[in-house]
Amino acid sequence: MTLPADFQVTLNVVDRVESWEDPREIFAQGEVGIRAGEPLGWVHVTWGTVPARARIDETRPLAIIEVSPQVLDQLDYFLRSFFLVTLIFLWKRARHYHMHAGTSIDSKGRGWMLIGDSCSGKSTTTALLAARGWTVSTDDIAFLTSQGDRAAVVGFRSPIALRPGGFALLGKAGGLPMTSRGKTGFWPEELGATWTQTVEPEIVVFTAVGGEHTTLTPMSSAEVLSAMLQWSIWVMFEPTAAQEHLDLLARLGRQARCYRANLAPDLFAAPGALEDFLP
Amino acid sequence: MNPKRYLRHPDLRLTALEGEGVVLHLKSRKYFSVNETGLVVLEALKEPRTFDELVAAILTEYDVSAEMATETTRGFLDHCLATAVVDEIA
Repeated sequence: MTLPADFQVTLNVVDRVESWEDPREIFAQGEVGIRAGEPLGWVHVTWGTVPARARIDETRPLAIIEVSPQVLDQLDYFLRSFFLVTLIFLWKRARHYHMHAGTSIDSKGRGWMLIGDSCSGKSTTTALLAARGWTVSTDDIAFLTSQGDRAAVVGFRSPIALRPGGFALLGKAGGLPMTSRGKTGFWPEELGATWTQTVEPEIVVFTAVGGEHTTLTPMSSAEVLSAMLQWSIWVMFEPTAAQEHLDLLARLGRQARCYRANLAPDLFAAPGALEDFLP
Repeated sequence: MNPKRYLRHPDLRLTALEGEGVVLHLKSRKYFSVNETGLVVLEALKEPRTFDELVAAILTEYDVSAEMATETTRGFLDHCLATAVVDEIA
């Protein structure tokens, strides 16, 4: 993703990472601690793995990060946990709102968005769709933004990361070993897909894995709003841009047909993959 | 004596999709769904309102009896007061 011109991140490697006085409640996201909102305004991010802290301006995309030299031993994990959370707050200040989602475009030019947790089949399905010639944006890291009167999703370009089960289902040799994560990565192009930065979702699918048959079930408006909020949890941390973030989730819900999906192995035998299961 | 007035909490954010709404309480980091009439009441409570003004807002939007509007508003307002979504103001 191209960084906006006003992004400013200062990264200092220091022998000792001090603590900032901060009375706010810590919200723990794995090893990452987040303090945000009143009464201080700025966002305070800390990391439990290696001493590290970030201070993000209340409204502008400015951050000062301090890390211990030990971070070099865990650079990949640092980037995917502490630094990613810091980036999510920075992007929020540039009106891009993180969603834990994958995005792609089918053969008819329709944008799809797959939303769900880490073991809900997003990456495996994205790899399958890439192998069917769909255009792929991201399998995991998506940023919702406004594009005219539409909601669009900007994808972070990275390999589609498959666990051993997904790798076996894909049935393709090769890939990039991601040893520290126990996964194998494929660039969309390796699977026969093209990559695109931005997708305007027309179909949103909240995914879960299980059972024998793949099903897509339409959702009510209340279900859609609650589920979108659940997977774009950063809206809850601070007043900054919260109303715009919420309204953009609702706009996405208005422009897309939304389904709750149960993804099963029969998805891999379907000629058109997910679109075969649309009710 | 002036009637009581109510105001939604300043940390509240809400949005709507086809008549259903979701309300986010930033202070408690909790969210919940509201129906169409709940949305009307919470929209009205952007400004301080009396109970009678809230009932009037419902009657303006829906073709229901005054009794039904009063009952619905009372139930929703009591819930909002109990969960600190709405405050009684002086």
